[in-house]
Amino acid sequence: MTPAKDAIHAALAECDREPIHIPGSIQPHGVLLAMSEPELRVEQASENAPDCFALPMARILGARLEDLFGADARQLREMLADERLQTNPAYVMSIAPAGSAGRGFQLIAHRRSGMAILELEESATASNIGFSSVYPLVTGFMSDLAPARSIGEMNGIAAREIRRITGFDRVLIYRFDADWNGTVVAEDRNNELPSYLDLRFPASDIPAQARELYKLNRLRLIADAEYRPVRVVPELNPGTGKPLDLTYSVLRSVSPVHVQYMKNMGTAASMSISILRDGQLWGLVSCHSKLPRRAPFEARNACDIIAQALSAQIAAAEHRADAESRIRLKSTQTRLLAYMAEEDSFLDGLMKDPADLLACAGAEGVALLYEGQCRLVGVTPGEQQVRNLAGWLETEHGETGVYATDQLPNEYAPAREFADKASGVIAASISSLHDSYLMWFRPEVQTTVKWGGDPRKPAAGGDGQGLTPRNSFELWKETVRLRSRPWLGSEVDSARDLREAIVRIVLRNAEEMALLNAELTRSNQELEAFSYSVSHDLRAPFRHIVGFAELLREREADRLTETGKRYIGTIIESAHFAGTLVDNLLSFSQIGRASLQFTSVNTGVLVNEVREQAAMDAAGREIEWRIGELPRVRGDLFMLRLVFQNLISNAVKYTRPREKAIIEIGAERGDGETVFRIRDNGVGFDAQYAAKLFGIFQRLHRMEDFEGTGIGLANVRRIVSRHGGRTWAEGEVNRGATFYFSLPDASEGSSRRAEDR
Amino acid sequence: MSDLLKPILLVEDNPKDLELTLVALEKTQLANEVITLRDGAEALDYLFRRGQYTSRAEGTPAVILLDLKLPKVDGLQVLEQIKADPALRSTPVVMLTSSREEKDLIRSYNLGVNAYVVKPVGFKEFIEAISDLGIFWAVLNEPPPGSLRPRR
Repeated sequence: MTPAKDAIHAALAECDREPIHIPGSIQPHGVLLAMSEPELRVEQASENAPDCFALPMARILGARLEDLFGADARQLREMLADERLQTNPAYVMSIAPAGSAGRGFQLIAHRRSGMAILELEESATASNIGFSSVYPLVTGFMSDLAPARSIGEMNGIAAREIRRITGFDRVLIYRFDADWNGTVVAEDRNNELPSYLDLRFPASDIPAQARELYKLNRLRLIADAEYRPVRVVPELNPGTGKPLDLTYSVLRSVSPVHVQYMKNMGTAASMSISILRDGQLWGLVSCHSKLPRRAPFEARNACDIIAQALSAQIAAAEHRADAESRIRLKSTQTRLLAYMAEEDSFLDGLMKDPADLLACAGAEGVALLYEGQCRLVGVTPGEQQVRNLAGWLETEHGETGVYATDQLPNEYAPAREFADKASGVIAASISSLHDSYLMWFRPEVQTTVKWGGDPRKPAAGGDGQGLTPRNSFELWKETVRLRSRPWLGSEVDSARDLREAIVRIVLRNAEEMALLNAELTRSNQELEAFSYSVSHDLRAPFRHIVGFAELLREREADRLTETGKRYIGTIIESAHFAGTLVDNLLSFSQIGRASLQFTSVNTGVLVNEVREQAAMDAAGREIEWRIGELPRVRGDLFMLRLVFQNLISNAVKYTRPREKAIIEIGAERGDGETVFRIRDNGVGFDAQYAAKLFGIFQRLHRMEDFEGTGIGLANVRRIVSRHGGRTWAEGEVNRGATFYFSLPDASEGSSRRAEDR
Repeated sequence: MSDLLKPILLVEDNPKDLELTLVALEKTQLANEVITLRDGAEALDYLFRRGQYTSRAEGTPAVILLDLKLPKVDGLQVLEQIKADPALRSTPVVMLTSSREEKDLIRSYNLGVNAYVVKPVGFKEFIEAISDLGIFWAVLNEPPPGSLRPRR
């Protein structure tokens, strides 16, 4: 910070501390009495009280109500006893005290610090209204306001109405922004004072404690900027030992800084009324007059009612606009959620209708970063810029679920490069995985702000000594750059809702995956336990059947008929077969479970080994082998050996009726895979059963023609599919069969547990 | 039965398997006495001369034919204790099992089994397997040093 700025900030801080609620003095258009309760004796009084009551100050201090107000005292005492009388000043009666020389006063009272504060305000000469006219004024205003369609229109009506009631030269409706700068959003005036419409005033013009006071006491009046303050004596209250708290006083003297500010503005009288919304200062009604002017208490009250009615209407209008915006965003969001539910991947769902994704936060561009993917929609920075931004968000705002700004380049310097695309961003972190974000962008919108004075020189006087208010209200135009249209609360909330929905989906996916894994592990364990007990317990009875049947045949042979012996033979054969089935079933399940050891396999060498073995088993038969060039592949050697063994021994088996068997083995490069084929000229099969061939225990031939358990091809399919490949077959009855299987090139490291189709 | 021959210890719980195994051993016409025990705990009592076998004569069997699945103490646990005992360690143990489970086989070899036989379903094959075992371990195999014939 530069020294000059330091000075300004120090001065402003000082201004923020000025104790404006205890100025120790009042404005001269009335008299103040602070009276002890409940005895109602004067403890402090303004120095102009003797004139009013025609008594020396010595007799006023300590005086009872009756000493000062004579006949009115009784009624006054009754009214002051009313418990409803609290900090809010109330009109009590009109009086003309002894020394007032016929001047009429309005007696206004409130309670503060255990005292009754009585203020006698001199009746305004030019009063436009009396109390009787307040009611029709307010109802008239309300009916004027009803058809107003916009907040701007409402403000205009209120300004006009208040000027009519008070007779000030210029009435402004002044609205605060988030930084407490104020903009004049409506104005009604005559030609006495210049227009301030659309001007913006820096926050320093109305310091923090003034704003606080404005919340407590909604009305302030300065009747004549040239006034001489009237002191309250004694300075310290004899009861409390403290200065009198004038927070709620209607005559309170204002800060000399403010008086100077008014003089600089060229106004002699001012009145302001706070516009509160939800207990917060929304804005001010600011009235000015070139010449000294007093609005009577009843007119001020009417204006206050109008200001509060206006604030209620504004609140209603803003709530309505907000609700409409939320409903619109919600329906967009509902559609997005439905898309996400329809699609397998929520990413595809989000991207289904990009217009909805943009509309969901009223953005011009969207970026979706998830698990390394980056998808862009609409007007966005480049992919690398988005990724860098995500990195920054992760580091700087990793804790926040949703980050929103309408001035990204001020927060993140690299954003200056793409300010035209993303000066505003809402970033929603959608996964604990690094850099997973959904971002909405808004481009830069350059605006011109008309400052009512240069905000860079908030209020410092030319000499830099002490605090003086601005003396220039010359228009100063500022072009605001590197900002986007601000995000509405409803838009940020919409982004937040969508983020929560996505996070739920992401979490649910992860949970489902974990559940599936657990389920898979459990069923694998069950399968293992099952096959273990099958292997032990199912084989034993078959062994016993075979064993005892053999013993029967051997030891009781002479007592058996031939038929009996044949029966025993069948028993033995069947039990044998059943045992083989059990063994095959186990090997099938082991093939599914065993882990694959991938190596480079020379299929030429492998096929040759298998062929030799098969030829040996088929000794005596004439078989012509036609073996093409076979490549190296990556796969599990043991498993691939089983594949070739099964297919080649099938070819040998089903060519048995042929005088000369022809078995052809070859391979062909396909698209990203190698396709192997084993063709024979055997008995073939009916093509309509081709799909059944690879099923477990599926047999297409009678047992007496071709033996077998129907497990071989099921094993082939399982092994090939675990290598990521496919299996299929072609054939025709009596015209041979061709079996195919493919192995993908990238089967390295693949341990997919793809089950049989 | 010769005093010079050490007995064959058969540990088998299933009476049908027991009968079939005894038939098979009978067919091999070995002279060794066959001592049958019906569960793992009994086998350990016998081997370590505990319980009802406290008073049996000293000496180790020629071979132990041990079923894998046994009540009370299973075959693998019996094998483990045999191979952990200095006096018994050198006695050959043949694991008989219905199972083709690889992990049983691996565990058995890790524990120091001398042979592992999956009982064949076929009776002929079964008889062949048993007699081969009996002949190999009870007759052909040189007794390891220290397993001298019992003196009576």
